[in-house]
Order: sequence, then C-alpha cells, then structure tokens
Amino acid sequence: MAMTGVNVHGSYIYANPRHGLRAAGFAVLVIALAAAPLVAGDYQLHALIVSMTFLLPALGLNLILGYAGMLSFAQMAFFGIGAYSSALTAMRWGTPFWLNLVVGGLAAGIVAVPLGIPALRLRRYSFVMCTLGFAVIAQTIAKNWISVTRGDLGLSQVPRPRIALWNGGFEITSITSYYYLALVLSVLAVLAFLTLVSSAAGRYMIAIREDETLAASVGTPTWHYRMIAFALSAVFAGVGGSFYVHYFTVISPTVFDPFYANTVLVIVLGGGVGTVGGVVLGSFLFVAVSEALRIAPDLRMIAYGLLLIVIVFACPEGLLPLFIRKIRFGGGTHVP
Amino acid sequence: MLTDAVVNGITAGSVYALVAVGMTIIFGVLRAINFAHGEFYMLGTFGAWWGIETLDLPYIVSIPLALIIVAAIALAVGVLVMKRLIDQPFQIGIVATLGVSLVLQNVIILIFGGAYKMFDGGWIEPVEILGISLSEQRILIVVAALVIFGLLELMVHRTRFGKTIRAVSQNIEACKVVGVNVPVVVIGTFVLGCTLAALSGVLTAPVTVSLYGGMGTSITVKTFAIIVMGGVGNVSGTLFAAWILGLMESFVASYLGLQFRDAVAFTALIVVLTLLPGGLFSKRERF
Repeated sequence: MAMTGVNVHGSYIYANPRHGLRAAGFAVLVIALAAAPLVAGDYQLHALIVSMTFLLPALGLNLILGYAGMLSFAQMAFFGIGAYSSALTAMRWGTPFWLNLVVGGLAAGIVAVPLGIPALRLRRYSFVMCTLGFAVIAQTIAKNWISVTRGDLGLSQVPRPRIALWNGGFEITSITSYYYLALVLSVLAVLAFLTLVSSAAGRYMIAIREDETLAASVGTPTWHYRMIAFALSAVFAGVGGSFYVHYFTVISPTVFDPFYANTVLVIVLGGGVGTVGGVVLGSFLFVAVSEALRIAPDLRMIAYGLLLIVIVFACPEGLLPLFIRKIRFGGGTHVP
Repeated sequence: MLTDAVVNGITAGSVYALVAVGMTIIFGVLRAINFAHGEFYMLGTFGAWWGIETLDLPYIVSIPLALIIVAAIALAVGVLVMKRLIDQPFQIGIVATLGVSLVLQNVIILIFGGAYKMFDGGWIEPVEILGISLSEQRILIVVAALVIFGLLELMVHRTRFGKTIRAVSQNIEACKVVGVNVPVVVIGTFVLGCTLAALSGVLTAPVTVSLYGGMGTSITVKTFAIIVMGGVGNVSGTLFAAWILGLMESFVASYLGLQFRDAVAFTALIVVLTLLPGGLFSKRERF
C-alpha cells in the first residue's frame, strides 16, 4: 500500500499533539506568501500564481487518489470544463468573478456525476483507463463543438476577474492583485480540503481506500462516498480551471493534453499523496523545478520522467516525509 | 468508398493488433499497464528512419536494425524499471511506466528535434487485387500480422517459454515455488512485447509517412482500448478487437469526419467496460 501512503489521518480523530504544530506551519507559510510581493518581482509572482493554479486540481486528485484510493486521469478534463464554462459565462453575461468560480466548479461537479455512474463501477485499471477516456473525449468535444468553443482556436479575450457582488466593482489587472486573489483562493481551498478530510465523509473515504469490502461490511455506503469523492475532486479542478482562464484570459483544447495531467500527477505523487502539506509542497516544487529547467526546456520533460520513476521506487510517499524528517531530526515516519 | 474504408480499417487494425498483443502479454505476466508501450512503436519507426537516412541502408535492412535497437532499449528498461514492478501495487506500475514514456519520448525529441520527419522507404507501389487497388506495404502489414499472430499462438501454447508466460500470468507465487525465474520471464516478455510494437511501427511507417517524437501517445491509448475489448492475455481476441477498432475508426473517419476518429477508441472502451467488463470474447472480468 505504499502508493496510498501511510494511514495517518486515522489519528486525526483523536486529540493530536501535532495539530498545533501543523496549524502554526500553515500560518507561517501563509504569512510568508502574503509578504512575498514585497520582495518578489513580477516574474516570481507569476510563477507562484501558476503553482497555486495547479494546487486546486492537485488537491482534487489528492482527494480521489490519496483518500478514496482511485487513480483518476479525468482531473484535467474537469479543469477544462470549469475553465470553458466559466469563460463562456463571463463572456456572455459579464458575470462577477465569484459567480464564475461557482459556475466553473458546479459545471465540473455536475458533469462528474453521470460520468461517475459507469466509471465508479470499475476498479483499478479499468477505472484509470475510463477516466483517461474522459479526457480524450473532452478534448474531442472542445475541438469540434466549434459554435461554442471555437475549436482549435480556443477562446480568447476572456474577461478579467471582476470583484463585485453583482454590478460595478473593480477588475483585477495588476499581477500583485492576481497574486493575492490566487492566495486567498488557495487558502480557502486548503481549508475546505482539511475540513472535508477530517469530517466523517473523509474518514469514510479513508476506510474505503484501506479496505472497501471491510468498509462495506460495517455499513459504510461505499458507492455514495466514492461518488462524493469523485464529484468533489471535479469541483476542485473546475474552480482551478475557472481561475486559470480568468488569469491567462485564453483557453484552447490543449488544456486537455496529457502534459497537464502528468503535471498534476507529478505534483501529488512528488509532494506526498494522501497529505495536504505534500500537495502544497509539490505545487511549489513543481514550479521551482520547471523554472530551474527553463534554461533547458528540452530537458524538462525528461527530468519529469526520471523524477516520476525515482519517486515511485525510492520515496513512494513523496518528498514531504523527507522534509519533515529533516526538520524533526530523524523523528518518526508519520506525516502531517 | 466502402471498400476503401474496409481496407483502411483492416490495415490500421493489423497495426494496432501488433502493438496491442505485446501489451497484453506484458500485462499478463506483470499485472501492469505499460504506459510507455506506444513509445516502443515510435522508437521502431525512428530506428528504421535513422537507418535509412543516416546509414543509407535499404528499408529491408533497416527493419532488423530497428528491431535490434528497440530490443536493446527494452532490455535496459526491463532490467532497470519493469523488474522492480513485480508484486507492486498497480499505481506504481502506471506512474513508473508513465515516467519511462516521458523519458523515451523526450530523449528522441532532444536527439532528433521535435519537427515532423518524412519516412522514405518501403513498397508503396499500388497493385490491383480483386478489383481493389492497394499498396504492397498494406498487404505486407496484414500478412505480417496474420503470420505473427499464428506464431504467437503456437509459442504461447506449445513452447516452454510460452508455457512459462502463461504460468506466471496465472499464479506468480506458485511459479516462484516451483523454481521459475520470474524476473527473467518478466524481462523476456517485456522485450518480446516491445519488439512487436517496434515491428508494427517499422511496417506502418511507409504508409503513415510522417514521424515525430510524440507519435506514440495516441497509439498507447488506443492499445488500452483494444486489450480491454479483446480480453487481457487473449492473443486471438486481441487481433479481432484490433480489427474491430480499426474498422470502426475507418468508418467514422470516412462517414462522420476525420476529427472524430480518435474519440472512437475510448467511446468503445467505456461502452465495453460498462456492459462487458470481461471484454468481447470472455465473460470473466480480468482487470
């Protein structure tokens, strides 16, 4: 069970002396990120925004892989659905940003339910391939539904986020304000994720991941919780897609390319699947690695590939445990 | 148009069949989906192209050259990566082979550049058979697929290696108990499967003409669809499933439009997984 990580979240149910430490670490990180625009230039801020954009679909993948134990390749399909629906809503009706986010998240979540009905009957490989199929089919639709998506050209001049309750308000244009928007969104997403996985629903998901038959035998409605995990992972991805499209102001069917799906996978597995800190770490590391390799873009994908191979064999729990161990002077293997 | 669609479908299906049969036997022994499988198809094509362009070899000589190169690469990947996948949970196999796929694809792009290349070789003269005009290379592809599937059926059922492959597919623990060298079987099967994918690439190259580093990805995903439809480990089932997919794609491309072709495989896959989880030719669920 190396891939699904150590079952640490079972211990959350009880009073955990390390809860305080975790909260403190989280607060320090948020404060450091909030202060970042004081020292970072536009380029570094852009890199940080990109990493926070990928954090959302990565949290979604973490939910379904790390907590419910299913490897889904549909994450970028939902990311794309969120992006397209949010962009189209904003372009047609000039809706404020919060509503676009809701539309993007809901659209992805609603599409996930009928897709989940056949997919969640499947296990292991069949599920993996079925979800891979969703991404391929989503790309085909995006390329060919030209009256809505404009095909390969994609949508351009997507409105920038308008912060308002309904009318008026102000538009986000500067990179610093984009950065703070992304930061607020990421913090909210991480808090929502933590609330979710420490709730009863989260514990049911972990029970299903560890042993579905056993979970069912003690009365867990496994089908419901697998569906909830699948739909919520889509909502996370859809919200991420919504932010993405209003930041870059363009979207095209390339968003469904395997490259992005692989990136999300690298973030989750590289950081530490089944942990929140790991996914946050993974998002920032991914950006650090890809920026470091910007001087040699040809080597970037090779480095990703080697990284994947090394991670699964050498540290299948991701890099987070290594970081924690460094900080805690060789303490236990438990991971926050 | 109808005969064209059928001929194209059978040719494409034979190409897919050669790739997919390799993946299905690898899955049998290793219980791991090889996400890098299409990359070996790509490597085969590049091997032959390199032989023709750089070494000035004729096409017929570049075929074995490409196969030897790919077999050597597959051996290295087998020893370094695939051997470690024995007895590992399934996600490990997916992620590791995904890594292999990224490395192989991008090393090729690094060496030869990302642009499309032209494959200049093969027998593309049209000939007339029963009133249908088709190139010699297409006939060669179909004949080669039939011969190789015949040989594979023989090998799997009659030879010692084939029997070992089936034994490892059925029960890896029992094989270890009776002294089967499981890593050797796994690596051997992997090299065989990848070489078949490469052969498919080499034979198709004169028909598809263009080649580029990322060409393997779509082959890999179509192969998934085929091995699920054919039933895992079922050699003849793979051939028929591949022909069915080839024909479906060809009809969709002819009558609905080329742009919908790549979605056919997955639509078929999702339908088959939902309604017939054991594949088209078996009742037993295997994934």
